[in-house]
Amino acid sequence: MARSTSKDAQDLFRALWSAYSATPTNLKIIDLYVMFAVFTALIQVVYMALVGSFPFNSFLSGVLSCVGTAVLAVCLRIQVNKENKEFKDLAPERAFADFVLCNLVLHLVIMNFLG
Amino acid sequence: MSKLVVFLFLALIPLLPLLCNSFSPEKPSDRRVLVLLDDFAIKSSHSSFFKPLQSRGFDLDFKLADDPKISLQRYGQYLYDALILFCPTIERFGGSIDAAAILDFVDSGHDLIVAADSNASDLIREIATECGVDFDEDPAAMVVDHSGYAVSATEGDHTLIASDDFIKSDVILGSKKIEAPVLFQGIGHSLNPSNSLVLKVLSASPSAYSANPKSKLTSPPSLTGSSISLVSVVQARNDARILISGSLSMFSNRFFRSGVQKAGSPVKHEKSGNERFLTELSKWVFHERGHLKAVNVQHHKIGEADEPAIYRINDDLEYSVDVYEWSGTSWEPYVADDVQVQFYMMSPYVLKTLSTDGKGRFFTSFKVPDVYGVFQFKVEYQRLGYTSLSLSKQIPVRPFRHNEYERFIPAAYPYYGAAFSMVRISFSRIFAFVFLSLN
Repeated sequence: MARSTSKDAQDLFRALWSAYSATPTNLKIIDLYVMFAVFTALIQVVYMALVGSFPFNSFLSGVLSCVGTAVLAVCLRIQVNKENKEFKDLAPERAFADFVLCNLVLHLVIMNFLG
Repeated sequence: MSKLVVFLFLALIPLLPLLCNSFSPEKPSDRRVLVLLDDFAIKSSHSSFFKPLQSRGFDLDFKLADDPKISLQRYGQYLYDALILFCPTIERFGGSIDAAAILDFVDSGHDLIVAADSNASDLIREIATECGVDFDEDPAAMVVDHSGYAVSATEGDHTLIASDDFIKSDVILGSKKIEAPVLFQGIGHSLNPSNSLVLKVLSASPSAYSANPKSKLTSPPSLTGSSISLVSVVQARNDARILISGSLSMFSNRFFRSGVQKAGSPVKHEKSGNERFLTELSKWVFHERGHLKAVNVQHHKIGEADEPAIYRINDDLEYSVDVYEWSGTSWEPYVADDVQVQFYMMSPYVLKTLSTDGKGRFFTSFKVPDVYGVFQFKVEYQRLGYTSLSLSKQIPVRPFRHNEYERFIPAAYPYYGAAFSMVRISFSRIFAFVFLSLN
């Protein structure tokens, strides 16, 4: 087996990127949204490790709001993906309504637990 | 007629507290003292001991120990505050008094002075044993000391001992040092090791032993050295005080007045230490000294005057208590630097030494620990010679109320920001979608 080089890695990423470029725009937006939420959760974990766990409820609600948002967005992405045949009978409007409702419940709980 | 009697009786009931004004907590000194004697000659031969008592205000009631009319109580009330037993040979008291009655008298908080002698009767020994003092079992035994004896005209009598091995306690023996040795002639005793309340006030020298001086010493004496106690005191847990001496003659005028020179010592004292020693000791026994009371326990939050019904964790509070010592005539401020208060729930969470202002007021301040529950302020003060103080006052401590926490904690701002930004991007997505679909 040939030794992998940085050229191989570049080829790999380029191939990945070109494959991803074919994704519809609305799914790309959801991906961006998930990445933002996960990144915010990571920042909070690092901050907690630096400052200490003192308002622990605030920490939990901050991180869980990010994680929850990300999970709900992933669920939405699965349901509205045209290539996913599992949900082909489900209208995207219905999936989006579920997403909105779950978000409302999530943020209500988070706001109560935050302070 | 019978109605009238009942009415009179009812009318007298409010006067009852006036009729029984003995040993009140307000005036803890004894007033009425029963003195039981073997014969009335002791009243005059020991008058130097009795006279100062009478001049200090004690009402001495001299009775023969076998007088059939003597009794300690009538209608359930004690007639006396204290009892002096100068009857070492009595086998049975007259009247209704027996050893159990005397111990009941002590158990109800009254004081007792017992003077035994060689040939002390079983009754006196029994009373002493109950108080934690065991006299030498040989009835003819006396304390003999061939190096610590008192020099007298008739050389060879080494049963007359000059002892100056006093207990080191200002409250029992007075603050002024007793210079002259104390003359003692009588039976020695040992303290029961299981009794923690009995104290040796005057002990024999290391060269003393207890044996019959008239017979040859065949076996080693049972009591030797400074474990022999000559005079002992007990302060019971109910503050009753007991003095037990192995010598009746140490209270006598002859010993009070005689000069004393301890063998081997060049100093000849004009007067023996007996008078000082026994006067100071009788002051202690009759509660003219070393009787404490604690009043006016107060606690409050710093900056407030009222006593709260409950504290919150981490409150700062002040605690104060007034402690006085009875001087025989009035309550004097007690001064000490070792009174401590505990903030106690199962174990002391806070233990603080109280500062004093010299006017009897003891105070300190501390922070309530970060633990909630039902606490007690406790003062447990037990010092040699003083009556014990035991105060406790219950106080609950609650946690913070939910609205006593900070509304916004600066350290949590990143978490707030994250949560709100999640809300914001979620809803901007929703609005964007609705807006786009409407167009």
